Amino acid sequence: MTKKGLILLLTILMMMGTVLPVFAQGAAEATAPAKEIELRWASIWVGADSKAGPVAAIVEEFNAANAGKIKVVIEPQPDYNAYEQKVRTSLAAGIAPADIFTIKLNPTTAEFYNSNLLMDFSKVFTGSWKSSFEAGSVNQSTIGGKLKSLPFETAILPMWYNMDILAKVGVTKVPQTVDEFWSLMDKLKAAGITATSQMTGDTNAWTSMIWFSHFAVSLGGPDVWSKPFTDPAFVQAAEYIKRMIVNYSTADAIGLGAGGSGGHFLAGRTAVFSNGPWYAGRADLAATPFFKNITIAGLPGFGSTSNYMISRIQANICAAASKDAAREAAIVKFLQFLTSPEKVKSIAQPSGAMFAVKTDAKPANHLQVQFTQLANSVAVSAPDFEAAMGAEATKEFTQQLSALALGKITAQEFTKLVALKINQD
Amino acid sequence: MKSEQNFGTRLLTIVKWFILLFFLLVALLPLVWLFINSFRSNLELQISSFGWPQKWLFSNYIKAMEMASLPRLFLNSVITSASAVALNIIVAAMAGFILSREFFKGRDTIYTVLTAGVLVPIIAFMVPYFSLISRSGIYNTLFALILVYASVNIPVSIFLVTSFMRSIPKELEEAAIIDGCSFTQRFTKIIFPLTQSGLVTAGTFCFIYSWNDFIMAMLLTSSIESRTIQLGIKFFSSQFITDYTTMFAAIILTIIPSVGAYMFLHNKIISGLTAGAVKG
Repeated sequence: MTKKGLILLLTILMMMGTVLPVFAQGAAEATAPAKEIELRWASIWVGADSKAGPVAAIVEEFNAANAGKIKVVIEPQPDYNAYEQKVRTSLAAGIAPADIFTIKLNPTTAEFYNSNLLMDFSKVFTGSWKSSFEAGSVNQSTIGGKLKSLPFETAILPMWYNMDILAKVGVTKVPQTVDEFWSLMDKLKAAGITATSQMTGDTNAWTSMIWFSHFAVSLGGPDVWSKPFTDPAFVQAAEYIKRMIVNYSTADAIGLGAGGSGGHFLAGRTAVFSNGPWYAGRADLAATPFFKNITIAGLPGFGSTSNYMISRIQANICAAASKDAAREAAIVKFLQFLTSPEKVKSIAQPSGAMFAVKTDAKPANHLQVQFTQLANSVAVSAPDFEAAMGAEATKEFTQQLSALALGKITAQEFTKLVALKINQD
Repeated sequence: MKSEQNFGTRLLTIVKWFILLFFLLVALLPLVWLFINSFRSNLELQISSFGWPQKWLFSNYIKAMEMASLPRLFLNSVITSASAVALNIIVAAMAGFILSREFFKGRDTIYTVLTAGVLVPIIAFMVPYFSLISRSGIYNTLFALILVYASVNIPVSIFLVTSFMRSIPKELEEAAIIDGCSFTQRFTKIIFPLTQSGLVTAGTFCFIYSWNDFIMAMLLTSSIESRTIQLGIKFFSSQFITDYTTMFAAIILTIIPSVGAYMFLHNKIISGLTAGAVKG
């Protein structure tokens, strides 16, 4: 190759740089008509999610009604953990991840409220729009007088009892007292049945984190999360969760993910499981022979607090702030459409999910009925560990939970190590 | 005596075959498991991880194709990986040529700084890469991925290519200079062709990274038009639910072309990797 060849090579490279962005059909601004406002929604409700279909239908309906003016484009976010990482990374870089996106509001993500990147809805969130939301959820999402995320999907996190398995050991109702609870665990173990589906894997040890939260709230009261994590209530809760993992769970609990934990319950291998309402809409659960005999309930009071429930706001909707008033108005218009009782109902009914928007949605199956009844019947509710303490503390909780279950650390050491992380944050 | 020798040889052969078959099984079993489970229902899988499908669900494959737009994502992966490899090799070869064949002040410092990138974890680049790509207006494009994949692999490629070029005798270049070779021709006619094995190794590393990457693809893209196959596979797991058997079908579909390409090209790949290993 001579000079001519070298020039040719450089020309090809320059052409690559010029031509390849042609693949950027996703870079919407270039292709959208001039007057149409295109809103990118980084949606987690895609793919296999039970809310994916209804959400897509709502977007389609909105786009049809606003053709030529506003177009909402769903950007699928298939992996939730990676999505959370993306949101954190983009906000750290000073760029909103999309025009519309969701977060789990907790002490970690509440930091986003300090950023000017997010729209403050407090001025426009008034009248009938505001009154259609549950006031408690709105209060939880209002920080320093600012409403930079709208509460949307909510959940209670109770226990799921497979009554067919309980019947095998002569138990016909869920335990009402702590003695009845331990008696049930021991009876199941003696009969060679694995009592529960515990797990210490993933980024939040999801199902075991729910169990731990139940113990802690019952022992320390609904405001337990405001206490130092070395409080005796947390130490005792750690002792209980260790006992559950070591004595009454499947052998693969240490390191197991939420899929495996749920899989054991679905396969009828375990009697008691913990999860939120979204699990009730699963087709494979409905296909199990024990589906009709699942009871949704809480745990008995392990401490002074009983008749309580663990609850959380599962997804808050955020929007990117913009200097363009028309763009912000378009975002508000879409969010008002999405969160209208009628549209929320269309998502809630087929999926079984619960929302901060008041609707007259009819539960699709007996599990969803039980969820609604349970949510309305409890005297007090409190958030779970992750919702109260944030993502970083939860990662530490998850790592140390394995060490606790393996006997490498004591319950006191467990709480001290997690407390250290909480205080760092 | 002879029969004892025969017995010993046979025993050795049996042991050898036993070991080979054992490792073959270890290597193939996960693939066979994946293949069989890609035809089962999720409920069957939850009840028992091992077993034949009660009914062979070919619909898992149709669902996989339809749900995740796999053909488009596969094409994107091919374009991204191939372009990243080409760009990476061109840059690494040119840098390696200068760093290995020319003498100038600061050469070793530049080499050390460039190759030190090997020690920096990829995750540390997430915020700067996202910021740079977004602000330069190429967010959500294949070009962004090509640029990032090629760049991330520059340190390891320069390390490999420079080392390889240093092993080429200086006399070859000197002879070429006497024959009238220009500076550019020394690179294009002499050094570049002789470094092919090193370039294949560097390109292979770059291709594997580009093909398997999930984090950067998730971070720097947002639509089907610019996403890669690894994101397609993740499309079957949501926040609370994973459609495992359809995901297995998607994985099988994505590995068929790679396995096919390897079956046709394995002789060239192996000869490329081993060429230059023995000097004679």
